[in-house]
Amino acid sequence: MTPKHIILDTDPGIDDSLAILLAAASPEIVLDGVVSVHGNVSTEQTTINALSVLELAKADHIPVYKGCELPLVKESLLSPETHGNQGLGYAQLPEPLNQPRAGHGSDHLIEQIMSRPGEVTLVCIGPLTNIALAIRQEPRIVENVREVFIMGGAIQHPGNTTAQAEYNTFVDPHAAHIVFHSGMPITLTPLDVTYQCIFTKDDLNRLLKIDSPVTKFIADSTRFYMEFHDEYQSIEGCVINDPMTLALTFMPEICDYQDLVVDVDISTGVGLGNTFADFYNYEKKPKNMRVAMGVRPRLFMDLFLERMEKLARKIS
Amino acid sequence: MPPTRIILDTDPGADDALAILLMLASPEITLEALTTVHGNVSIDKTTRNALAILEFLKADIPVARGCSRPLIKSPHNWGDAVHGASGLGQAKLPEPKTKPVELHAVDYLIQRFLAEPKELTLFAVGPLTNVALAIRKEPCFAEAVKELVIMGGAVRSGGNVTALAEFNIHEDPHAAHVVFNSGIPITLIPLDATYKCLLTPADIEWLLKINSPVPRFIRDVMADYMAFYSQYEGFAGCALHDPLTVAALVAPELLHVEKHYVDVDISGGVSIGKTYADFMKVMKKPANVKVALDVRGREFVELFIERMEGLSVEAG
Repeated sequence: MTPKHIILDTDPGIDDSLAILLAAASPEIVLDGVVSVHGNVSTEQTTINALSVLELAKADHIPVYKGCELPLVKESLLSPETHGNQGLGYAQLPEPLNQPRAGHGSDHLIEQIMSRPGEVTLVCIGPLTNIALAIRQEPRIVENVREVFIMGGAIQHPGNTTAQAEYNTFVDPHAAHIVFHSGMPITLTPLDVTYQCIFTKDDLNRLLKIDSPVTKFIADSTRFYMEFHDEYQSIEGCVINDPMTLALTFMPEICDYQDLVVDVDISTGVGLGNTFADFYNYEKKPKNMRVAMGVRPRLFMDLFLERMEKLARKIS
Repeated sequence: MPPTRIILDTDPGADDALAILLMLASPEITLEALTTVHGNVSIDKTTRNALAILEFLKADIPVARGCSRPLIKSPHNWGDAVHGASGLGQAKLPEPKTKPVELHAVDYLIQRFLAEPKELTLFAVGPLTNVALAIRKEPCFAEAVKELVIMGGAVRSGGNVTALAEFNIHEDPHAAHVVFNSGIPITLIPLDATYKCLLTPADIEWLLKINSPVPRFIRDVMADYMAFYSQYEGFAGCALHDPLTVAALVAPELLHVEKHYVDVDISGGVSIGKTYADFMKVMKKPANVKVALDVRGREFVELFIERMEGLSVEAG
């Protein structure tokens, strides 16, 4: 099988960084580029972090493009309490040697998708601002993108940012609304499945048997993330949403899926940002995405740990 | 004083056409470019119409084609009732020979305003989709705009598409929300003022005494608009909505303007798209908009007629 060509739209972010490392360690895919977006921290910082993590993974040939700095309609919301002020927990990576490429992130998405119709798969693990802007500026990307994998939403699971809303869709619900209703072929990875995949201290200790800047980075970044999960959510370990979304591009059997009618609340009440499915579909709307609703956690965790071990052995 | 250099974002549209005529007939203004947007009719038609009007007036001015639909809402479709099937009523302008520039309107706006920060004034007389996307795509855009004059909203007066909302703002309320809160110095020309500027059939008869293509164009372009007004709003004549923006530069003394915090309801209820001013300062937010709440309407209509006479003689 020829590898899938992927552009990663991301706001690193601790679990975003792990997704970048997994992409760099997975021969089933070709990571063609990274586009940064506001979210976990500012776009200035997510851009630096994307460059630094790629350099850590010795994948600094992969171009990084800087994207939107603010949500489409709402005010900005960052989350330093979850990811640390620099976005990478306690990890301190060297200043990146590379710069982001010239041009706006959303223009890069348009150029790549339109120049290679049917070839580019988008993996979106931050707020969806860049993709929404690209759709409104060049509507033809909808028919020309191959597939879109999105980390976001909490369908039957509670929210992690409000009682009902998951972080990525809460930060830019209007962008999510545009993307969800665009007609793009979407696979959604909501909290319903990601919260069943916990990266534990035992998992971390397994990785730390290899002495490598990669394992040190994973340890320093996830230690902060684990403290957050312990303090706010009484979870031992941490949820690694984003690498799981990336893994589904080449190992779909990790999850079970339902085709559903999914929408996001943009009505600015208490439900703002809630991603919900109309399971009974009384209005007989066409199903607009495939949603991962069941998961085999060990299948994913084993994949993740093996790939991180392989990467760590290569970079020591 | 040197003329004010402006760029017009527009969706021609019958009254948009008259605004373009008035701008070209006003020595106080240099119209440097048009950017087109969806609205009164489709983006294909508004772009075609913008080019055709400029060719008709032998004005060599670049046109950039913009967004084809609102940010979030579904586009409104009220058929051909108001602006005619082409968007220009019964006027039959030849197919334009010129083409729009390569750049998308959003990027064209960003390029022009960033090239000369604080030098250019932006007029927006359609839905604010292009302007909102420029603000979000380029965070420096807002501070590069010297002033923004908008036709839109119904502050104290009733709406013209819902009981509460005016067309331009209602058509893309989320974009309007972004623009109002962007920090750009804004002058708003709402229905409160525009409905006091009525061009009557007698005014058009008067202009037709000049043997020139211009008065005949005005008669034809406003034919469907006049018919709509007499059928739905119960009077002979039509409001000079978009042309009245020009008064903000050319005859500010005719306008009664107040500074208020102005925003638009995007909460998704019955008042979606309603433009409101916080007259009593209950929201304790700094004033962001100079809003024209009244106008010496007949004086403006006479100014409009005089300028059209000048343009007609020139073109005759």
